Amino acid sequence: MASNAAVPFWRAAGMTYITYSNICANLVRNCLKEPYKTEALSREKVHFAISKWTDGKPEKPSKSFFLPL
Amino acid sequence: MAMAAFRREGRRLAPLISPRPITAVRSSPLPPTHEDEGPIGVRYISTQVVRNRMKSVKNIQKITKAMKMVAASKLRAIQSRAENSRGLWQPFTALLGDNPSIDVKKSVIVTISSDKGLCGGINSTSVKISKALHKLNSGPEKENKYVVLGEKAKAQLVRDSKKDIELIITELQKNPLSYSQVSVVADDILKNVEFDALRIVFNKFHSVVSFLPTVSTILSPEVVEREAEAGGKLGDLDSYEIEGGETKSEILQNLAEFQFSCVMFNAVLENACSEQGARMSAMDSSSRNAGDMLDRLTLTYNRTRQASITTELIEIISGASALEG
Repeated sequence: MASNAAVPFWRAAGMTYITYSNICANLVRNCLKEPYKTEALSREKVHFAISKWTDGKPEKPSKSFFLPL
Repeated sequence: MAMAAFRREGRRLAPLISPRPITAVRSSPLPPTHEDEGPIGVRYISTQVVRNRMKSVKNIQKITKAMKMVAASKLRAIQSRAENSRGLWQPFTALLGDNPSIDVKKSVIVTISSDKGLCGGINSTSVKISKALHKLNSGPEKENKYVVLGEKAKAQLVRDSKKDIELIITELQKNPLSYSQVSVVADDILKNVEFDALRIVFNKFHSVVSFLPTVSTILSPEVVEREAEAGGKLGDLDSYEIEGGETKSEILQNLAEFQFSCVMFNAVLENACSEQGARMSAMDSSSRNAGDMLDRLTLTYNRTRQASITTELIEIISGASALEG
Protein backbone atom coordinates (compact mmCIF):
# COMPACT_ATOMS: atom_id res chain seq x y z
CA MET A 1 0.00 0.00 0.00
CA ALA A 2 1.94 2.92 -1.30
CA SER A 3 -0.81 5.44 -0.64
CA ASN A 4 -0.53 5.03 3.11
CA ALA A 5 2.90 6.52 3.13
CA ALA A 6 2.14 9.06 0.39
CA VAL A 7 -0.48 11.14 2.17
CA PRO A 8 1.80 13.48 4.12
CA PHE A 9 3.88 14.11 1.01
CA TRP A 10 1.13 15.34 -1.28
CA ARG A 11 -0.40 17.28 1.55
CA ALA A 12 2.93 18.96 2.11
CA ALA A 13 3.05 19.83 -1.57
CA GLY A 14 -0.15 21.84 -1.11
CA MET A 15 -2.40 19.42 -2.87
CA THR A 16 -5.88 18.55 -1.85
CA TYR A 17 -7.37 15.11 -2.03
CA ILE A 18 -9.17 16.19 -5.18
CA THR A 19 -5.98 17.08 -7.02
CA TYR A 20 -4.36 13.88 -5.84
CA SER A 21 -7.24 11.71 -6.98
CA ASN A 22 -7.36 13.54 -10.31
CA ILE A 23 -3.71 12.84 -10.92
CA CYS A 24 -4.25 9.20 -10.06
CA ALA A 25 -7.28 9.03 -12.36
CA ASN A 26 -5.26 10.55 -15.16
CA LEU A 27 -2.58 7.96 -14.62
CA VAL A 28 -5.15 5.23 -15.02
CA ARG A 29 -6.54 6.90 -18.14
CA ASN A 30 -3.06 6.94 -19.64
CA CYS A 31 -2.85 3.20 -19.18
CA LEU A 32 -5.60 2.62 -21.74
CA LYS A 33 -4.82 1.27 -25.19
CA GLU A 34 -4.77 3.64 -28.10
CA PRO A 35 -8.21 4.19 -29.60
CA TYR A 36 -9.73 4.41 -26.10
CA LYS A 37 -6.92 6.47 -24.66
CA THR A 38 -7.38 9.59 -26.83
CA GLU A 39 -11.12 9.24 -26.45
CA ALA A 40 -10.90 9.15 -22.68
CA LEU A 41 -8.43 12.01 -22.56
CA SER A 42 -10.45 14.22 -24.88
CA ARG A 43 -13.53 13.68 -22.71
CA GLU A 44 -11.82 15.22 -19.72
CA LYS A 45 -11.36 18.78 -20.93
CA VAL A 46 -11.34 21.44 -18.28
CA HIS A 47 -12.48 24.91 -19.10
CA PHE A 48 -13.95 27.67 -16.94
CA ALA A 49 -13.37 31.27 -15.97
CA ILE A 50 -12.77 32.21 -12.37
CA SER A 51 -12.45 35.60 -10.71
CA LYS A 52 -11.82 36.37 -7.09
CA TRP A 53 -13.77 39.23 -5.51
CA THR A 54 -12.88 41.29 -2.50
CA ASP A 55 -14.98 44.12 -1.09
CA GLY A 56 -17.38 44.16 -3.98
CA LYS A 57 -14.79 44.36 -6.73
CA PRO A 58 -13.16 41.74 -8.85
CA GLU A 59 -9.63 41.50 -7.54
CA LYS A 60 -7.89 40.55 -10.72
CA PRO A 61 -9.08 40.00 -14.25
CA SER A 62 -10.72 36.66 -14.54
CA LYS A 63 -8.62 33.92 -15.96
CA SER A 64 -9.61 30.93 -17.96
CA PHE A 65 -8.33 27.46 -17.47
CA PHE A 66 -7.40 25.06 -20.17
CA LEU A 67 -5.85 22.13 -18.45
CA PRO A 68 -5.31 19.04 -20.48
CA LEU A 69 -4.78 17.17 -17.25
CA MET B 1 -43.55 56.28 -50.77
CA ALA B 2 -44.44 53.74 -48.18
CA MET B 3 -46.38 56.31 -46.25
CA ALA B 4 -48.43 57.10 -49.31
CA ALA B 5 -49.25 53.44 -49.70
CA PHE B 6 -50.27 53.26 -46.05
CA ARG B 7 -52.56 56.21 -46.45
CA ARG B 8 -54.17 54.87 -49.56
CA GLU B 9 -54.92 51.59 -47.88
CA GLY B 10 -56.00 53.39 -44.78
CA ARG B 11 -58.48 55.61 -46.50
CA ARG B 12 -60.13 52.66 -48.11
CA LEU B 13 -60.58 50.88 -44.82
CA ALA B 14 -61.06 53.77 -42.49
CA PRO B 15 -64.83 54.17 -42.42
CA LEU B 16 -65.33 50.53 -41.64
CA ILE B 17 -62.76 49.99 -39.00
CA SER B 18 -62.67 53.18 -37.08
CA PRO B 19 -65.53 52.45 -34.68
CA ARG B 20 -63.85 49.24 -33.51
CA PRO B 21 -60.62 49.44 -31.65
CA ILE B 22 -58.23 46.80 -32.86
CA THR B 23 -55.67 46.01 -30.25
CA ALA B 24 -53.30 44.18 -32.49
CA VAL B 25 -52.39 47.26 -34.49
CA ARG B 26 -52.51 49.83 -31.74
CA SER B 27 -48.75 50.03 -31.68
CA SER B 28 -48.57 50.95 -35.35
CA PRO B 29 -45.81 53.47 -35.95
CA LEU B 30 -48.00 55.64 -38.17
CA PRO B 31 -48.56 59.15 -36.89
CA PRO B 32 -52.12 60.38 -37.01
CA THR B 33 -52.58 62.19 -40.30
CA HIS B 34 -55.98 63.71 -40.01
CA GLU B 35 -54.87 67.26 -40.80
CA ASP B 36 -54.99 66.87 -44.55
CA GLU B 37 -57.32 63.98 -45.20
CA GLY B 38 -60.54 62.77 -43.73
CA PRO B 39 -62.48 64.09 -40.77
CA ILE B 40 -60.95 64.30 -37.31
CA GLY B 41 -61.31 61.17 -35.25
CA VAL B 42 -60.95 58.73 -38.07
CA ARG B 43 -58.24 56.22 -37.44
CA TYR B 44 -56.24 55.05 -40.41
CA ILE B 45 -55.39 51.43 -40.30
CA SER B 46 -53.49 49.60 -42.86
CA THR B 47 -53.52 45.87 -43.29
CA GLN B 48 -49.84 46.08 -44.13
CA VAL B 49 -48.97 46.63 -40.46
CA VAL B 50 -50.93 43.58 -39.40
CA ARG B 51 -49.31 41.56 -42.13
CA ASN B 52 -45.83 42.54 -40.99
CA ARG B 53 -46.72 41.77 -37.41
CA MET B 54 -48.02 38.38 -38.40
CA LYS B 55 -44.81 37.63 -40.22
CA SER B 56 -42.65 38.55 -37.26
CA VAL B 57 -44.79 36.56 -34.82
CA LYS B 58 -44.50 33.57 -37.12
CA ASN B 59 -40.72 33.92 -37.18
CA ILE B 60 -40.55 34.17 -33.40
CA GLN B 61 -42.64 31.05 -33.13
CA LYS B 62 -40.26 29.21 -35.43
CA ILE B 63 -37.30 30.26 -33.29
CA THR B 64 -38.88 29.24 -29.99
CA LYS B 65 -39.91 25.90 -31.48
CA ALA B 66 -36.34 25.28 -32.58
CA MET B 67 -35.02 26.23 -29.16
CA LYS B 68 -37.46 23.82 -27.57
CA MET B 69 -36.19 21.02 -29.78
CA VAL B 70 -32.60 21.80 -28.91
CA ALA B 71 -33.38 21.91 -25.19
CA ALA B 72 -35.24 18.62 -25.40
CA SER B 73 -32.36 16.80 -27.03
CA LYS B 74 -29.84 18.31 -24.60
CA LEU B 75 -32.07 17.34 -21.71
CA ARG B 76 -32.16 13.71 -22.78
CA ALA B 77 -28.38 13.59 -22.91
CA ILE B 78 -27.87 15.20 -19.55
CA GLN B 79 -30.73 13.61 -17.65
CA SER B 80 -29.24 10.13 -17.53
CA ARG B 81 -25.91 11.57 -16.38
CA ALA B 82 -27.56 13.54 -13.63
CA GLU B 83 -29.49 10.51 -12.45
CA ASN B 84 -26.36 8.36 -12.49
CA SER B 85 -24.41 10.95 -10.53
CA ARG B 86 -26.85 10.70 -7.64
CA GLY B 87 -25.08 7.56 -6.59
CA LEU B 88 -22.01 9.64 -5.82
CA TRP B 89 -23.33 11.65 -2.92
CA GLN B 90 -25.69 9.12 -1.38
CA PRO B 91 -22.98 7.14 0.47
CA PHE B 92 -21.64 10.39 1.90
CA THR B 93 -25.03 11.41 3.19
CA ALA B 94 -25.43 7.95 4.67
CA LEU B 95 -22.10 8.32 6.45
CA LEU B 96 -21.95 11.98 7.40
CA GLY B 97 -25.57 13.01 7.14
CA ASP B 98 -26.83 16.30 5.81
CA ASN B 99 -26.95 19.05 8.41
CA PRO B 100 -28.71 22.03 6.91
CA SER B 101 -29.45 23.52 10.31
CA ILE B 102 -25.92 23.47 11.65
CA ASP B 103 -24.81 26.66 13.34
CA VAL B 104 -21.30 27.72 12.37
CA LYS B 105 -19.30 30.93 12.19
CA LYS B 106 -18.15 30.92 8.62
CA SER B 107 -20.59 29.69 6.06
CA VAL B 108 -20.01 29.86 2.37
CA ILE B 109 -23.03 29.71 0.11
CA VAL B 110 -22.33 28.18 -3.27
CA THR B 111 -25.04 29.37 -5.64
CA ILE B 112 -25.30 27.35 -8.80
CA SER B 113 -27.00 28.88 -11.82
CA SER B 114 -26.84 28.75 -15.58
CA ASP B 115 -24.82 30.88 -17.96
CA LYS B 116 -27.68 31.39 -20.38
CA GLY B 117 -31.14 32.78 -19.86
CA LEU B 118 -34.55 31.99 -21.33
CA CYS B 119 -35.06 29.16 -18.91
CA GLY B 120 -37.87 30.25 -16.66
CA GLY B 121 -37.31 30.96 -13.00
CA ILE B 122 -34.63 28.48 -11.99
CA ASN B 123 -31.87 31.05 -11.62
CA SER B 124 -33.91 33.47 -9.57
CA THR B 125 -35.06 30.57 -7.40
CA SER B 126 -31.53 29.60 -6.48
CA VAL B 127 -30.59 33.24 -5.90
CA LYS B 128 -33.63 33.70 -3.68
CA ILE B 129 -32.81 30.60 -1.65
CA SER B 130 -29.19 31.74 -1.31
CA LYS B 131 -30.26 35.14 -0.04
CA ALA B 132 -32.65 33.52 2.41
CA LEU B 133 -29.84 31.29 3.69
CA HIS B 134 -27.62 34.33 3.99
CA LYS B 135 -30.24 36.11 6.08
CA LEU B 136 -30.95 33.02 8.14
CA ASN B 137 -27.33 32.52 9.09
CA SER B 138 -26.34 36.11 9.61
CA GLY B 139 -25.69 37.39 13.06
CA PRO B 140 -22.97 38.93 15.18
CA GLU B 141 -19.56 37.30 14.70
CA LYS B 142 -20.85 35.36 11.78
CA GLU B 143 -19.56 35.48 8.30
CA ASN B 144 -21.47 34.62 5.17
CA LYS B 145 -19.87 34.60 1.78
CA TYR B 146 -21.10 33.76 -1.67
CA VAL B 147 -19.40 31.64 -4.27
CA VAL B 148 -21.29 32.11 -7.51
CA LEU B 149 -21.38 29.69 -10.41
CA GLY B 150 -22.88 30.98 -13.65
CA GLU B 151 -23.55 34.35 -15.28
CA LYS B 152 -27.19 34.64 -14.27
CA ALA B 153 -26.78 34.39 -10.52
CA LYS B 154 -23.78 36.70 -10.82
CA ALA B 155 -25.90 39.36 -12.50
CA GLN B 156 -28.50 39.14 -9.74
CA LEU B 157 -26.16 38.95 -6.77
CA VAL B 158 -23.79 41.69 -7.92
CA ARG B 159 -26.74 44.08 -7.73
CA ASP B 160 -27.24 43.98 -3.96
CA SER B 161 -24.83 41.55 -2.31
CA LYS B 162 -21.62 42.75 -3.90
CA LYS B 163 -19.73 42.90 -0.61
CA ASP B 164 -20.22 39.25 0.21
CA ILE B 165 -19.11 37.76 -3.07
CA GLU B 166 -15.92 35.81 -2.73
CA LEU B 167 -15.55 33.94 -5.97
CA ILE B 168 -17.29 33.91 -9.34
CA ILE B 169 -16.95 31.01 -11.72
CA THR B 170 -18.45 31.11 -15.20
CA GLU B 171 -18.28 29.40 -18.58
CA LEU B 172 -18.47 26.01 -16.98
CA GLN B 173 -20.72 24.60 -19.66
CA LYS B 174 -18.60 25.37 -22.70
CA ASN B 175 -17.57 21.72 -22.83
CA PRO B 176 -19.80 18.86 -21.77
CA LEU B 177 -19.71 18.64 -17.99
CA SER B 178 -17.31 16.07 -16.66
CA TYR B 179 -16.20 15.06 -13.22
CA SER B 180 -12.62 16.25 -13.78
CA GLN B 181 -13.88 19.70 -14.71
CA VAL B 182 -16.14 20.04 -11.70
CA SER B 183 -13.49 18.62 -9.40
CA VAL B 184 -11.00 21.28 -10.53
CA VAL B 185 -13.65 23.91 -9.78
CA ALA B 186 -14.26 22.36 -6.37
CA ASP B 187 -10.53 22.34 -5.76
CA ASP B 188 -10.29 26.04 -6.59
CA ILE B 189 -13.15 26.84 -4.27
CA LEU B 190 -11.51 24.89 -1.45
CA LYS B 191 -8.22 26.69 -1.98
CA ASN B 192 -9.73 30.17 -2.16
CA VAL B 193 -12.27 30.31 0.64
CA GLU B 194 -12.23 29.56 4.32
CA PHE B 195 -15.30 27.85 5.62
CA ASP B 196 -16.87 25.93 8.43
CA ALA B 197 -19.77 24.89 6.31
CA LEU B 198 -20.39 25.01 2.60
CA ARG B 199 -23.98 25.30 1.53
CA ILE B 200 -24.56 24.38 -2.08
CA VAL B 201 -27.78 25.77 -3.54
CA PHE B 202 -29.05 24.24 -6.75
CA ASN B 203 -32.21 23.10 -8.50
CA LYS B 204 -32.66 19.39 -8.18
CA PHE B 205 -34.17 17.84 -11.26
CA HIS B 206 -37.41 16.10 -10.46
CA SER B 207 -39.24 16.01 -13.74
CA VAL B 208 -39.33 18.16 -16.85
CA VAL B 209 -41.69 20.58 -15.17
CA SER B 210 -40.64 20.47 -11.54
CA PHE B 211 -37.33 21.42 -10.00
CA LEU B 212 -36.83 21.46 -6.30
CA PRO B 213 -34.53 24.12 -4.94
CA THR B 214 -32.14 22.14 -2.78
CA VAL B 215 -29.45 22.90 -0.24
CA SER B 216 -26.60 20.49 0.41
CA THR B 217 -24.43 21.18 3.38
CA ILE B 218 -20.82 20.16 3.60
CA LEU B 219 -18.98 20.59 6.85
CA SER B 220 -15.31 21.22 7.26
CA PRO B 221 -13.37 18.34 8.88
CA GLU B 222 -12.96 20.27 12.12
CA VAL B 223 -16.67 20.82 12.47
CA VAL B 224 -17.38 17.18 11.64
CA GLU B 225 -15.02 16.12 14.40
CA ARG B 226 -16.53 18.56 16.86
CA GLU B 227 -20.02 17.41 16.05
CA ALA B 228 -19.02 13.76 16.26
CA GLU B 229 -17.67 14.32 19.74
CA ALA B 230 -20.76 16.19 20.78
CA GLY B 231 -22.82 13.20 19.73
CA GLY B 232 -26.05 13.67 17.86
CA LYS B 233 -26.36 12.69 14.25
CA LEU B 234 -22.64 12.41 13.66
CA GLY B 235 -22.02 10.47 16.87
CA ASP B 236 -22.02 7.18 15.04
CA LEU B 237 -18.87 8.13 13.21
CA ASP B 238 -16.70 6.81 16.04
CA SER B 239 -18.00 3.31 15.56
CA TYR B 240 -16.21 3.09 12.22
CA GLU B 241 -12.83 1.48 12.19
CA ILE B 242 -10.02 3.27 10.40
CA GLU B 243 -7.61 1.21 8.41
CA GLY B 244 -4.04 2.15 7.66
CA GLY B 245 -1.74 4.53 9.40
CA GLU B 246 -3.74 7.75 9.06
CA THR B 247 -5.32 9.58 11.89
CA LYS B 248 -8.99 10.33 12.02
CA SER B 249 -8.57 14.00 11.20
CA GLU B 250 -6.58 13.19 8.07
CA ILE B 251 -9.24 10.77 6.92
CA LEU B 252 -11.95 13.30 7.63
CA GLN B 253 -10.17 15.98 5.69
CA ASN B 254 -9.78 13.77 2.64
CA LEU B 255 -13.35 12.66 3.01
CA ALA B 256 -14.69 16.21 3.28
CA GLU B 257 -12.78 17.29 0.20
CA PHE B 258 -13.95 14.33 -1.82
CA GLN B 259 -17.49 14.78 -0.56
CA PHE B 260 -17.46 18.39 -1.70
CA SER B 261 -16.31 17.55 -5.21
CA CYS B 262 -18.85 14.74 -5.53
CA VAL B 263 -21.73 16.82 -4.25
CA MET B 264 -20.67 19.68 -6.51
CA PHE B 265 -20.58 17.35 -9.49
CA ASN B 266 -24.07 16.14 -8.79
CA ALA B 267 -25.34 19.66 -8.08
CA VAL B 268 -23.92 21.07 -11.30
CA LEU B 269 -25.41 18.23 -13.33
CA GLU B 270 -28.80 18.48 -11.64
CA ASN B 271 -28.87 22.20 -12.21
CA ALA B 272 -27.89 21.85 -15.86
CA CYS B 273 -30.62 19.27 -16.24
CA SER B 274 -33.20 21.51 -14.59
CA GLU B 275 -32.06 24.36 -16.82
CA GLN B 276 -32.76 22.38 -19.98
CA GLY B 277 -36.08 21.19 -18.61
CA ALA B 278 -37.11 24.71 -17.66
CA ARG B 279 -35.99 26.04 -21.02
CA MET B 280 -38.01 23.37 -22.74
CA SER B 281 -41.23 24.23 -20.94
CA ALA B 282 -40.59 27.98 -21.26
CA MET B 283 -40.07 27.67 -24.99
CA ASP B 284 -43.09 25.41 -25.29
CA SER B 285 -45.35 27.95 -23.65
CA SER B 286 -43.89 30.81 -25.67
CA SER B 287 -44.48 29.02 -28.95
CA ARG B 288 -48.01 28.35 -27.79
CA ASN B 289 -48.47 32.03 -26.95
CA ALA B 290 -47.09 33.00 -30.33
CA GLY B 291 -49.61 30.64 -31.93
CA ASP B 292 -52.47 32.26 -30.00
CA MET B 293 -51.31 35.70 -30.99
CA LEU B 294 -51.03 34.62 -34.59
CA ASP B 295 -54.60 33.30 -34.51
CA ARG B 296 -55.87 36.59 -33.13
CA LEU B 297 -53.97 38.60 -35.69
CA THR B 298 -55.13 36.40 -38.53
CA LEU B 299 -58.72 36.82 -37.41
CA THR B 300 -58.39 40.60 -37.27
CA TYR B 301 -56.66 40.67 -40.61
CA ASN B 302 -59.22 38.50 -42.37
CA ARG B 303 -62.13 40.36 -40.88
CA THR B 304 -60.74 43.67 -42.03
CA ARG B 305 -60.04 42.36 -45.48
CA GLN B 306 -63.50 40.87 -45.76
CA ALA B 307 -65.04 44.12 -44.63
CA SER B 308 -63.20 46.14 -47.23
CA ILE B 309 -64.21 43.71 -49.96
CA THR B 310 -67.83 43.94 -48.86
CA THR B 311 -67.73 47.73 -48.97
CA GLU B 312 -66.26 47.72 -52.41
CA LEU B 313 -68.94 45.35 -53.62
CA ILE B 314 -71.66 47.49 -52.08
CA GLU B 315 -70.17 50.56 -53.70
CA ILE B 316 -70.07 48.92 -57.12
CA ILE B 317 -73.53 47.45 -56.88
CA SER B 318 -75.13 50.60 -55.60
CA GLY B 319 -73.35 52.60 -58.27
CA ALA B 320 -74.60 50.22 -60.94
CA SER B 321 -78.15 50.27 -59.66
CA ALA B 322 -78.05 54.08 -59.51
CA LEU B 323 -77.08 54.14 -63.19
CA GLU B 324 -79.87 51.75 -64.10
CA GLY B 325 -82.49 53.60 -62.21
